[in-house]
Amino acid sequence: MTPGRTAGTGPPEAAQHGKLGMERRDFLKILVQGILVLLSTLAAVTAAIFAYPARIRQKTVQFIDVSSEDELPGRGIKRVVYEESGRKSIVYLAREGDSYVAFSPVCTHLGCLVSYNRSQNRFLCPCHGGKYDASGRVIEGPPPLPLTRLPMKVEKGRVFVGFKV
Amino acid sequence: MGKIFDWIDAKFHVKAPHGGFLQRRLPEGLSYAYCLGGAAFTAYTILLFTGMLLSIYYVPSEHDAYSSILRIQHEVHLGWLIRGMHKWSATILIIFLIGHTLRVFISRAYRPPKELNWVVGVITMVSCFASGFTGYLLPWDQKAYWATEVGTSMAHTIPAIGTYVMYFVRGGIDVDGTTLIRFYSIHVHWLPLGMLALLWMHFHMIKRQGIKRPL
Ligand code: HEM
Ligand code: FES
Repeated sequence: MTPGRTAGTGPPEAAQHGKLGMERRDFLKILVQGILVLLSTLAAVTAAIFAYPARIRQKTVQFIDVSSEDELPGRGIKRVVYEESGRKSIVYLAREGDSYVAFSPVCTHLGCLVSYNRSQNRFLCPCHGGKYDASGRVIEGPPPLPLTRLPMKVEKGRVFVGFKV
Repeated sequence: MGKIFDWIDAKFHVKAPHGGFLQRRLPEGLSYAYCLGGAAFTAYTILLFTGMLLSIYYVPSEHDAYSSILRIQHEVHLGWLIRGMHKWSATILIIFLIGHTLRVFISRAYRPPKELNWVVGVITMVSCFASGFTGYLLPWDQKAYWATEVGTSMAHTIPAIGTYVMYFVRGGIDVDGTTLIRFYSIHVHWLPLGMLALLWMHFHMIKRQGIKRPL
């Protein structure tokens, strides 16, 4: 059987005009189109609600326990590895005069992680050759700002460093 | 609506070539059983759409997969609804597919010249099963993990090459993060796109060959 390609007019019984003064097939066509428009609108609205972020908040500083007070460097710079919700991260603790500072290892250029090189007494960035001195000042390369100094405090023998989370 | 569509169609010319399909005569005596293919297609469309939405939040990594599922379920606006729709449509799709296959089988619509459409249908059905299997791992909870452990270990029983097939499916010796990422890739890229191509062939052949007159 081949479907009739000539069947644009429909069977004769469909040609009756109902109370609406409209052919049955025209009515159905409008009905189906209406349902399609309604459903796609509903889907679009649902999708927009779903995709809109549920939690929009500014990051706040939270203090995280990174090490014990005994591990603070007597002089120079110390690389400290700490664990926060199952992930290992790094922070640099440094002695500066009588006090301490915490440096974020995130390069201020494009965010690679710098590493402290003891023999050169420099923080070196592997990505585009950024160099910082022991107090975080840029001495070479593209970084626009010194290394970020993170807020820190020592309480009850533990060292806490503030991160924005 | 009609006016806008006509304006677009004046450039695209999709309406006229499909007129023979959209306006064709159908054989007499069709029952609702002939709607099962269309019903399956509706379920597939819902799966595609809700799946694309879920992919906005789902994270296919060993560390984050489960927590991203929890976030979708409890934090994301209407996340529970989209996730539920995806899950239920998957089940309903399989039910419609089995019904559709039975209808085609009973009405002997698989006979020449439609044998190729039957073959395309079978490949589509296998793709649907594969979608279900790969999707089941994605929540990365205990049930997902052990179902995949058991499911993939079946490959092991194939004579001679079984072990290698299993390594291939798992991406290693064990079910781990590598398995998760490859299942994710198969589930969201390879199968949905492949099925789109298969369904296009399916519908194109129906357009050319028509629906078989009921027995
Ligand atoms: C996602 C999966 C599938 C979709 C969306 C789908 C969709 C459809 C649709 C809309 C039709 C038109 C007639 C009807 O609705 O009954 C059709 C016909 C057909 N389908 Fe499928 N189908 C699928 C899977 C399958 C499977 C698994 C088989 C067989 C193993 C199959 C074999 C056929 C055949 C042979 C026809 C022609 C029937 C006739 O001429 O009467 N399809 N399909
Ligand atoms: S990111 Fe460090 S130099 Fe570019």
